[in-house]
Parts: sequence; structure tokens; C-alpha cells
Amino acid sequence: MTEYLQVAIFGLLLGGVYALFASGLTLAFGVMRIVNLAHAVFIVASAYIAFFAFEHLGIDPLLSIVFIMPLMFVFGVGVYMALFSRIEGSARYVEMTVLLTFGIAIMIEGLLGWRFTGIFRQAAPGYLTEAFFIGDFLVPTGQFYAAMLSLVLLIGLWAFLRFTRTGYGIRATMQNRAAAQLVGVNVRRVSAISFGISAALAGASGAMMSYLFPFFPFRHWQWIALLLALVVLGGMGSLKGAVVGALILGVASSLVVDQIGPGWGPMVFYAALFVILLVRPRGLFGKEVTA
Amino acid sequence: MIEDRAAADGLEPDVVEADTAPKKPAPYRLLVVAILLLTLLLLPLGRPVLGSYNYIILLVTNTLMWVAMASSWNILGGYAGYISLGHAVFLGIGGYVAAVPLFYYDVSPFLTAVVGGLVAMAVGLVAGLITLRTRGPAFIISTIALLFMFLLIFEQIDYFGGTAGLSLPIVPLPRDWLKAPFYYAMLIAAVGSILLSYRVAHSKFGLGLRAIAEDETKAEVAGVPTRFYKILAFALSAFWVGFVGAMWGYSLSFVRPTLFFTIAISAQMVLMVIIGGRGSVAGPVVGAILIMTINEFSLIQFGASEINIVIAGALLVTVLLFFPLGIVGTLRSRSWLPAFLDWD
Repeated sequence: MTEYLQVAIFGLLLGGVYALFASGLTLAFGVMRIVNLAHAVFIVASAYIAFFAFEHLGIDPLLSIVFIMPLMFVFGVGVYMALFSRIEGSARYVEMTVLLTFGIAIMIEGLLGWRFTGIFRQAAPGYLTEAFFIGDFLVPTGQFYAAMLSLVLLIGLWAFLRFTRTGYGIRATMQNRAAAQLVGVNVRRVSAISFGISAALAGASGAMMSYLFPFFPFRHWQWIALLLALVVLGGMGSLKGAVVGALILGVASSLVVDQIGPGWGPMVFYAALFVILLVRPRGLFGKEVTA
Repeated sequence: MIEDRAAADGLEPDVVEADTAPKKPAPYRLLVVAILLLTLLLLPLGRPVLGSYNYIILLVTNTLMWVAMASSWNILGGYAGYISLGHAVFLGIGGYVAAVPLFYYDVSPFLTAVVGGLVAMAVGLVAGLITLRTRGPAFIISTIALLFMFLLIFEQIDYFGGTAGLSLPIVPLPRDWLKAPFYYAMLIAAVGSILLSYRVAHSKFGLGLRAIAEDETKAEVAGVPTRFYKILAFALSAFWVGFVGAMWGYSLSFVRPTLFFTIAISAQMVLMVIIGGRGSVAGPVVGAILIMTINEFSLIQFGASEINIVIAGALLVTVLLFFPLGIVGTLRSRSWLPAFLDWD
């Protein structure tokens, strides 16, 4: 029993990080109906920034979110203005966003591969190899920090959406874009800001990825597959769903890794996706989604 | 849209029915095709006379392979409007269905290639049953998951050689003729997939798929058996990809999960079809030839680098934003499409 609890703790820590990774993705879909296949490549690109900041300037990866998040926010707003604002209202919009972000993902992946080659990277701050005990249970320090920071950022996101004027606008747009526009929400501005926030969340995720998970440019496909499966499980566009889905899958995949083998962990995500498509295509907390 | 197309073809709207039967192509177009086919058929035979030109043979073989894959993808992604990013699965299925009997029982892939296609079709059918319960983004996502699921399975199971894959024996032929059988196999696949695409485009089934792409709910109300059609389209679009996979693995003399079950393969298919023109018979062919040329050029120009991936991504974004109809579609909308490319 203790062993399972121990595995569950690892899983929860992992799930907390997954929740942050997926939050930006589900936000972009919820507000702008953008299925951002480039989200994971944003994360990997940010991981490179954090990695090099650590290697060359000695900046702690977790601390580096202070400049990575604003940087990625500006980048996100820029990408939205330059590309997505052009396709607003086009026929088959959601599908357009998939193809467009697919192109963006390939482009960034190519640039990263060209500059930094395909070798594995992983930052190694001191706490990466440390661990402490809570009662009988081992808690890896690095993972613990990451999970706590994720929690803080997610609560911050929630509070921002809940209590600020822009947050109201974002939530209104999520619920009903046309109606929000009708009551005076500047939907385009809200969309650009949301995409910026989504990219900033990817930035924070990248800072954590830089030391938690070894990465190289092509890796982002594996991540986007996991994150999308998770987002579909929770219900596309639902932040609550993303968090709950991440925690469930974090624990489940840790159990599978423990019981069956390390390679089989991601299978949980894909299996969960297909099961949810069969049983409840809208996901745990999602609204009905059509093209 | 259907009426527009009929009008563009010079047909009266009330004879749209006739569009469901294969239209008789103009003699001039047939002549172009006949000359092209004959050239392609004879190309490897010039070898003893003209000396070695393996490079050209290989280039044409690869292009034919991608023509087959892009044309197949177009059946689901173009006609029915369901974007699949998981079509690399079928390439891998074909590759392994041919590689495993060769590796363990010495059965030639030239015999099992068709089986590879059929198994790919069966997988497409089953996958379609699950994934096609959803529309739009959830479908696309489930095809990505499908791909990674297969990658994981083939990487983890030792019988398939795990991550290292299986090394295959080389074709038992004299060195000068090693490339020829693959060339002809890919030629068969390319011609077969174009014919399939043409038949679908000019059938009631194809009309139904286009209706689904336009507006699925309306199509369903109008009596199109949407679910059956979609699944059939998924399965049909898998066949030649599986066949090609069987041949590709044998020609490389190895199969490896990360080479076959990779989203990079799917990306190429999507890119070719979008750039060439979705939903037309000629579009994927034009796209495949163009992308292969660009890839080859950037390989020569920049060496084996990541530059061609960047170019591919930039091209995709540019085409989507400025020419969403692709080359063939844009040319047609401006009535600049040469007759030999007009197969719709």
C-alpha cells in the first residue's frame, strides 16, 4: 500500500506540472477556438531559453520565468496579431487554426533544430538530484518546486480570470463570443491577450521542462500528443477539466510506469483519449464541440 | 459549390447527375497522360544503354511514393474535409506487415505488399469507427494520438524489434537492377492511387464526401450516409499508404518505428495536399512533385540540415493565409488551370 501511495505522490507532482503545461493550450481553445499544435514547441523553445540562461548566466530555471513569461507573452500577442487575426471569421476556422499552428510548429522546430541541433538537453540545478521525506514518503525536491510553482501560477490564472476586468472579458468570450462582443467586450483585444497569456504559460512550462524532462526540438510532438489527449479528456476549453485530467493521468501513468514499464506511461493518455471519445466525446467538463 | 463546379466545367446545373459517372476526358489530356506513363514505364530500361542514373531513378521513385501517399490522404483530408495527422500509421503498418514475414519466414514483400495495404485498410476501418465519432478538432487530435499509440506499441514489443526495428535482407537481384522493382511498385501505387482518387471524385460517394466537407449536418439531413461514408473514406485512404510502406521498408532494407510512425511523414502528406490543392485529383500530385523538388533542392543547397523543415512550415503558413485553395484550386478559380491538370 505504501508503495502505491508513494507512486501516487510522484504522479500528483507530475500531474501538477502537466496541468500547467496544458492550461495554456486549453485557454487558447476556450477563448479563441485555436487548437494550438505549436503549444508544445513554444514550451520547448522556452526550455531552450531557460537552459541557456542557466548554463551561461547561472540563472535558476524556476527564477527565469520572471523574464521568460513576459517575453513569451509579447511573442504570443505578436503571433496572434500577425497570423490569427487574419483568419478570424474564415470558413472552417478551427481546422484553419490546426493547419496554421501545424505550420508554425514545423517552422519553429526547424529553427530550433538548425540552431541547437537534435541533442538532448537538460539543465541541472542543485535541487534536481535532491529529495526530502514527508513521513515515510520520498519527495523529489525539483519536482516539488515545479508542482508548487505550477499551483501558484494556476491559482494566479484563476484569480486573474475571476477578479479582473480583462478576466471577465476573457470568460465572457469563452462562454459566448458573439454575445460578449454585443455587450461591449473588445473580443479581438481579449483574444490577443489570451493568446499572449497562453504563450506565457508555455514559457513557464518551458522553464520547468528545462530541468524536469530532457528535451530536443523534435520532442515537442510527443508532448503535444500527451497534452492534447489530456485536454480532450478534460473537455476542450475547460481549465478545470485540464487540471483534473492532468492529475488523473499523472497518477495513472505513474502507476502504469511502476507496474508495467517506463515505456508504457504515455499509453495511458492515448487510451484515456479513445475511451473518452467512445463514452463521452465532449470530455469530462467540456461543452459539445463542432467544427 | 457543386453547381459552381459543374458550371465551371461547362455543364448545365441540371446535368450534375451526369457528373457522378466518370466523365470522358478530352483526347488531348489522354495523350499527355499516355506519353507521361510511357516515359515513366521505360525510364529504368534505358540503363544498359545510358549508363548509371540511379539518382534520377531514386528521385522519381520517391516522388511516385509521395504522389501515392498525398493522393490517398486527399480522399479523407481533401474530399471529406477530415484532416488526419495520423496517416503515417498506415505507412508503418504496411512496412511491418511486409517486414515481419520477410524477417522471420523469408516471404518476399513483393507478395505481401497488397496484404500490407489491406491490413492498413482494416486498421483504418477500426480507427475510423472510434475517431470518426467526433468532428473537427477532436478528430484531428485523436489521429495524432493514434499515431503515437502505434509508435509506442511498436517500440515496446520485442517481436517487432523494439526501438531498433528489424534489419531486412537486400533484394536478391543484380546490383544494376536493385532499384527497378521498387520503381515499378511505386509507379503502380501512384497510378493506382490517382485512379482511386479519380474514381472517388467522380462517384456518388465522392459527391457525398464533398457534401460532408461543406456541411456535415446538412449532408446528413439530405440523406448522405455520413458515418458510413467517412469510415469508408478513412479506410480507402489507408490502402495505398500501406502498400507504399511495405515497399519502402524493403527498399531501405530496414524498418524502424521512429522512421515510419512519425508525424513528420504525416506532415509531408498534409503539406503536399494543401499546397497542391485540397479536394482535387491533380492537386496532391502537383504538391508532391513540388515539395519533392524543393526538398531535393534544399538538400543540395544547404546539405542535410533543418532548413527544409523551416521552408516547409513557412510554405504551409503562406499558402494557408494567402492561397487557401492551393495551386490547382487557385489556378482553377482564375481559369488558368491547364486542361491536362483538370481531372475533376
